[in-house]
Amino acid sequence: MKRISVAERANWRAYAEEVGFNFHTFDGEPYWDETAYYQFSLQQIENDLEAPTEELHQMVMDMVGDITRSEEMLTLLNIPRDFWSYIWNSWNKGEPHLYGRMDLVYNGFGPAKLLELNYDTPTSLFETGFFQWVWLEDQIKNGVLPEHADQFNSLHDKIEQAFAQLPLPQPFYFASVRDNLEDLGTVNYLMDMAAQAGVDVRYIPLEDIGELNEQFVDLDNQPIKGLFKLYPWEFMVQEDFAKTIMAANTQMLEPAWKMLLSNKGILPLLWARYPNHPNLLPAFFETPSSEPLGAGWVRKPLFSREGANVDLITNSGEKISAAGPYSDGRYVRQALHPLPKFRDEYRNADTYAMLGSWVVGDSAAGICIREDATLITKDSSRFLPHIILD
Amino acid sequence: MKQTKRAVMKRSKKAALVLMVPVATLLLAGCGEEREQAMVFSDPSECSAAGLNDTAQCNADYAAAQALHPQVAPKYLNKEECETDFGPGQCETAPQQTAQGGSVFMPMMMGFLAGQMMGNNASNLQQPAAGSKVPTQPLYKSRDDRSTFRTATNTPVAKTIGPISLKPSQVQPQVGQVVRRGGFGAQAASRNSFGG
Repeated sequence: MKRISVAERANWRAYAEEVGFNFHTFDGEPYWDETAYYQFSLQQIENDLEAPTEELHQMVMDMVGDITRSEEMLTLLNIPRDFWSYIWNSWNKGEPHLYGRMDLVYNGFGPAKLLELNYDTPTSLFETGFFQWVWLEDQIKNGVLPEHADQFNSLHDKIEQAFAQLPLPQPFYFASVRDNLEDLGTVNYLMDMAAQAGVDVRYIPLEDIGELNEQFVDLDNQPIKGLFKLYPWEFMVQEDFAKTIMAANTQMLEPAWKMLLSNKGILPLLWARYPNHPNLLPAFFETPSSEPLGAGWVRKPLFSREGANVDLITNSGEKISAAGPYSDGRYVRQALHPLPKFRDEYRNADTYAMLGSWVVGDSAAGICIREDATLITKDSSRFLPHIILD
Repeated sequence: MKQTKRAVMKRSKKAALVLMVPVATLLLAGCGEEREQAMVFSDPSECSAAGLNDTAQCNADYAAAQALHPQVAPKYLNKEECETDFGPGQCETAPQQTAQGGSVFMPMMMGFLAGQMMGNNASNLQQPAAGSKVPTQPLYKSRDDRSTFRTATNTPVAKTIGPISLKPSQVQPQVGQVVRRGGFGAQAASRNSFGG
């Protein structure tokens, strides 16, 4: 695993905007960053990332059924009691799931360590599945990268296949929060792949979803029988339409049982079930009697995204915190396994890299890399492409 | 079979976009909902005189609209408010009562909308608008626009009696309650991104 500086493609910004990737730069700071790429060996990809991703995925899938039946675990995960039966049914009916992303620490040798699961509303999908794929094709065409360079990135193929095979009601609706450009980008990309797979796709802003006689309806009051929602389950179960979710006959993507996995509480549950697994870090629920956070530990809210409200204390005692709006819940603690540090020659600065590993259905489908100037990866962290080259 | 190098690659064989590029957006905009044939009449005799549906079908559609009328008509807690919207002498007492036992008022039915059966096999005529996507329903006329037939949700459908064409989704009767919106997204304002 190496970080290699490279010249940017001449017209990539114009091209990004042409294909709807309007958030390539955020508040004047780069989000998509092709001033460098990461290079992996095929062996690193297959042995250290692909296989552990599928193993970790299988481990959490094996726990879902047990959690749906355990009052203790559902309580630890802060799942509202009203939704316990709904979740049990969602799992036992075998409601299908589409995708997820696990975040890993990996430095090129030794086992990758699971930081957390984004199994409900993972984003950076377009950047991974499409934009970094095109980057590699372009750089091969430009003679910058050799013909046999490859990428661990079958995301586009696998999501399109999944849409072709999943039993989904038609038309199938896609919703995201109104005026959120990044989320809309993700949803547009999913709709694009679904349309290519033959799904009759419709977009509706989340706030426009209506309720009529205990059924979700679109702006023409037509029933929404299937819905992909880029909005966290833990919010949905608290909002005005929570009761309608249980009464309505709407098939949701991701399904309700994914609520159990996209929750930092799954980390201590996993550690308790598979102690000392090479791809897991020690993790525990914080309780009122927990000692103050010590050196070499990280504290994360049960529900948080993009690194928000994460505190950590390095092995040398330095405290690093990320602000955010998720301070209203409970916390888990996880042993610190610092992100690997690389040298960003373009900015003449140190940079830390985190690896996102995608799962479509039940198979590993590629990786994405996020870089930050700190040990906590945030929504502002840059996205860098990667290649496989031996 | 020739083994291609691509067969062992770890990346997608293709990554194409069809909707996110501007050209394809035009294609999408072209496919809206189809318009359907329907008919508007004040009463069943007008309907059978028009000869588009036979008398039995006209009577069946009128009866279906009348049955739906008390369920879908807009409701008022006093007669004056109802007449403000629908005109003096144009309101009647609804079968419903308030929780305290008070009267509820609604506009009188001024006509009906039915799916058009023209060209259908005569043996189907006893069924209300079978095969039509337009739901048979009562129509009303507002005080300030006595020439226009409107649905219970105030969608204008016709100025005159006879055949019309419309999009079925615009005339879906809503029984009982109104649509509520905005039940999701309350926490959107307080948080930046919802993906992760």
